Amino acid sequence: MAKTVSAKTLRSSFNQWFFWNGCSQQAESMLGMAFGQSMSPVIEELYDSKEERAAGLKRHITLFNTESQVGSVCNGIAIGMEEQLANGVGAPESIQEAKVALIGPTSAIGDSLWVATIIPLLLTISLTLSQSLTNAPWVGPVLYMLVYPLGTYLLSWKIFRTGYKAGLEGVQQFMATGQLDKIMEAVTILGLIVVGGLTATFVNASLNLDIKTTTQVFDAATQTYTDGMISVFNLDNLLNNVFPKIVPLALTLLVYYLYAKKNWKPIAIMGLILVLAVIVTAIGFIPGIGAFS
Amino acid sequence: MSVLQMVLIALFIYLGAIGSIVGNTIGWYCLGRPLVASFVVGLIMGDVQTALLVGVPLQIAYLANVTPGGAVAWDLSYATYIGTATAIALKGTVASTPALIGLAFTGAGLGGVVGGTMWGIHYSLDVFLNRWAERLAEQGETRKMWMPNVLGGQAIGFLARFVPALAILAAINAAGSSSGLNIPGWFITGISTFGSMMAALGMGIILSFLVKKNIHWAIFLAGFVLVTYFGLNTMAVAIVGIIVAFIVYAAGNRQEAF
Repeated sequence: MAKTVSAKTLRSSFNQWFFWNGCSQQAESMLGMAFGQSMSPVIEELYDSKEERAAGLKRHITLFNTESQVGSVCNGIAIGMEEQLANGVGAPESIQEAKVALIGPTSAIGDSLWVATIIPLLLTISLTLSQSLTNAPWVGPVLYMLVYPLGTYLLSWKIFRTGYKAGLEGVQQFMATGQLDKIMEAVTILGLIVVGGLTATFVNASLNLDIKTTTQVFDAATQTYTDGMISVFNLDNLLNNVFPKIVPLALTLLVYYLYAKKNWKPIAIMGLILVLAVIVTAIGFIPGIGAFS
Repeated sequence: MSVLQMVLIALFIYLGAIGSIVGNTIGWYCLGRPLVASFVVGLIMGDVQTALLVGVPLQIAYLANVTPGGAVAWDLSYATYIGTATAIALKGTVASTPALIGLAFTGAGLGGVVGGTMWGIHYSLDVFLNRWAERLAEQGETRKMWMPNVLGGQAIGFLARFVPALAILAAINAAGSSSGLNIPGWFITGISTFGSMMAALGMGIILSFLVKKNIHWAIFLAGFVLVTYFGLNTMAVAIVGIIVAFIVYAAGNRQEAF
């Protein structure tokens, strides 16, 4: 009788991966130990002798890495291949090769679609709710805390099952249909519009240059002229008349340029923002030409 | 802050850190996000209103804080729990909302740097666990494979997060309760300016994930002018975005037109 992995073992393997994939991340085998742990119930069910189990476990504690939530497809595929191997189909080496081959594409899809697009988008919608509902700002975080983990768990489980059922070739065929690209493009456009709106709403930056002059000001209350300061040249007002919020936009584009084109680290960009903040604050306090003077 | 409050916040810093016992979906990507983290601190310290007042700007500034390839230059969980706790603990010393946000960013900066160091320690020490896993695999111990991963990894992870976090929180608490604390006006102006400029960090980096072709810049600018020229709020912009995204998806077969 052909050996199969029971539904209970599949669920156990998935749960061990889903919750503990990041527990022992390090430079040597990356997520290798976690992958080995998630495969351990499968190995136990498929093989009986100590030697076979040892060989099975050793196959799965080697170097492995992925974006773990979408990358559960790799676990599904590996379980499918182990099941075939236990029934005498395939070779141990091909399981290793399949795992290594999956590292690149699953990391790329997981990081770009899920981590860099879906999470920020869901957070954006939630924080917008928090900001709009001034009497109940807790709605935003509560919504995110429910929707994100639950949705991801269900999706990750479905992807895991798909990997197990469809196998390596089935998954590669799906990725070649281009359906993912269409979803990605639509989600990207939503992301871009929202980020544009957020940039205009939340980024604030002023140059604080406001040249003033002392002049005679008519005081209506006392019907007399007194010495007062009036602004003769306010750089921020001038620029905002040309294009509203152009300084915050320029700052955002500078961050983009430094990160995307010059490979600056986020922490270095933070340092630069701190320096710029100190400079514009200092300008603001210069007597006569600063906005705070 | 009472000792219990500090212990609870330090515990959540550990849970929200990358690779904690509850998994990255519930931990790093949920409890570790500033919007959720600030809410949790607000619940613990009994001031959800102030917590979310600083939590929303923190979330925007760190919206793009993800970890491609496991490189954590900046520990978000540490940063935002400490940042929010700082703002609430020192609330009495500042008068305006921008100043409060500035305080949160200052605390987050401190927390993030310490957290980044702790991640480095965790990541380095975990390497030794490989030897343990190899020994167990050699013996075919399928029932014990969780031990190096969960038990070993988490013992190191917990100590690296919980203990330093508690020390930082105690220091903030001491600063907040010392009656002589008087923050000068120019400093408040400076950190307020810094806080309001930090949103550009999140927006600029998230753009680098999203922009793949030149037409994408036009779409980004459309969202921008919906606010500056048309005066829409962010919720309205999001709804316009959803409508446009659906149209683009429906026209997917003629995608080259976009």
